[in-house]
Amino acid sequence: MNLIQFMGAVEIGLLYGLVAMGVLLSFRILDFPDLTVDGSFPLGSAVCAILIVSGANPWIATFAAILAGMVAGFITAWISVRWNILHLLASMLTMFALYSINLRVMGRPNIALLGENTIFTPIENLPYPHLYTMSLAMLGVTSIVLVLLYWFLSSEKGLAMRATGANMRMAKAQGVSVNKQILFGLALSNGLVALAGALFAQSQGFADISMGVGTIIMGLAAVIVGEAFFNPKVILTALIACVMGSIFYYLVRAMALNASFLGFQASDLNLVTAILVGIAMITPRLRAKILDFKSSWGNS
Amino acid sequence: MIRLTDLHVTFNRGTAMEKKALRGVTLDIKKGDFLCVIGGNGAGKSTLLNTLCGDDLPEKGTISIDNKDVTSLASWQRASYVARVFQDPMAGTCANLTIEENLALAMSRGKKRTLKRALNKDHRDLFRTQLSRLKLGLEDRLHSPIGLLSGGQRQAVSLIMAVLQPMKIIALDEHTAALDPKTAAFIVELTREIVVENHLTALMVTHSMHQALELGNRTLMLHEGRVVFDVQGKERKGLTVADLLDLFHKASGLELDDDSLLLS
Ligand SMILES: Nc1ncnc2c1ncn2[C@@H]1O[C@H](COP(=O)(O)OP(=O)(O)O)[C@@H](O)[C@H]1O
Ligand SMILES: [Mg+2]
Repeated sequence: MNLIQFMGAVEIGLLYGLVAMGVLLSFRILDFPDLTVDGSFPLGSAVCAILIVSGANPWIATFAAILAGMVAGFITAWISVRWNILHLLASMLTMFALYSINLRVMGRPNIALLGENTIFTPIENLPYPHLYTMSLAMLGVTSIVLVLLYWFLSSEKGLAMRATGANMRMAKAQGVSVNKQILFGLALSNGLVALAGALFAQSQGFADISMGVGTIIMGLAAVIVGEAFFNPKVILTALIACVMGSIFYYLVRAMALNASFLGFQASDLNLVTAILVGIAMITPRLRAKILDFKSSWGNS
Repeated sequence: MIRLTDLHVTFNRGTAMEKKALRGVTLDIKKGDFLCVIGGNGAGKSTLLNTLCGDDLPEKGTISIDNKDVTSLASWQRASYVARVFQDPMAGTCANLTIEENLALAMSRGKKRTLKRALNKDHRDLFRTQLSRLKLGLEDRLHSPIGLLSGGQRQAVSLIMAVLQPMKIIALDEHTAALDPKTAAFIVELTREIVVENHLTALMVTHSMHQALELGNRTLMLHEGRVVFDVQGKERKGLTVADLLDLFHKASGLELDDDSLLLS
């Protein structure tokens, strides 16, 4: 792996850190497995790209993408809580429908953004190597989102959201309107994922209808890899862990695909991902087993 | 204070599994009453409390608290009237939140939750004072996840949580059943203190007939979703467990031995 590939993986890892935080919010904090993200990531790209090529201010386009993602998440949550539909099914429905909606939004399967004015244009114009400035910019965005999310989750409202996912009955007994938490939480989660989609389109220079496929797996991979490494106990470390997990995941992925002796090609990506996530999921069990073994050794 | 009128609750209505859990319960609970609820397994005790708190919805009947009809309010909306402690110590607290986060959650019960930090120095000071009365050393463990605590410790924290906000009613559902006898006695004593200090109206389900006569000022027995007796004041003074069994027998026409009730 050369420097360009390394920095590229870091940049993409930071960007998917946003997806990872969104997935952490739905899967872990709200205990709501949400597949909508596979549709809200390309939705974010689509909304942002079409607005930019129509001449809109890239900041407004990015903001609109976030809003669109929030609406998508809200709809999934509404189907689930209002009509008492299993979360997975509700989110599959939205994800499925979003494919058509994204095509409608874009009007065609692919939009190129090369030469368009994006929020990264000022950075690209800086007299420094693009390689570093883009990663720094992404680090900035992801850090800001992380701090905001941390601030929210430590507030009274955020605590109510965390209680909803952790123990719904108790949350209700403490006066928390759990349905509102789920509606808002999923909107927030998908808003983050759509933001990632919008930034992806702007940094890579295109939006494509198929670019959302597997977003949920990337997000989950990041969350699970982060948990395996950091074993986070408090909310701040959980947030940092999933972003680090995302960077780590993209680094390992780049390494695996670039190590010629392994003989992987781009189409083996899903296999590599599955193996990596599998290892990360087994790690905590293994750790517990080893600790068990050690303690029984110590006692005997 | 609390008025339950002709409450009917049926589970799995219209199916082969249909279960009439409450069949017309009417109760008038005065401010400051401490009501002990007894009855065999499946008598409807938990359902009575759950219906009061809004977890189970009655198909017939009304519930009013302080002359306000709350029948159609969801459970989270009733949380500002009723604090609860569940039988299962796991149910009343959030295992993966810390002790202070659990308490902070209870601090804003019934209030509008804001974007202000859920925890600050004032909160922590208050929590330490409140926890130190338990003499369990929990005041030094504010940052520990509450899941690391024993069942008894969690029930004790649940009781503290119940009264962090000015509260009028507390509903306790066999909240000592999962504890060993010594811990259970500690929690019962704590319950009594907290109810008295805060001038609470209390409904406590218990599986112990002795406790149901010793604690509080009123004893109610449910059987098959109906109130079989409800004693208080002079009538209740001097009653023994044997008398309770006798009352039950007269009221329901059924034999019931002490053991089956105590063990159920
Ligand atoms: N959620 C439920 N669904 C179906 N049946 C229930 C439910 N909750 C309670 N029941 C039934 O209603 C009856 C009363 O239950 P409960 O109030 O829990 O009794 P207990 O007096 O032991 O607390 C029991 O027969 C129980 O099986
Ligand atoms: Mg019960």
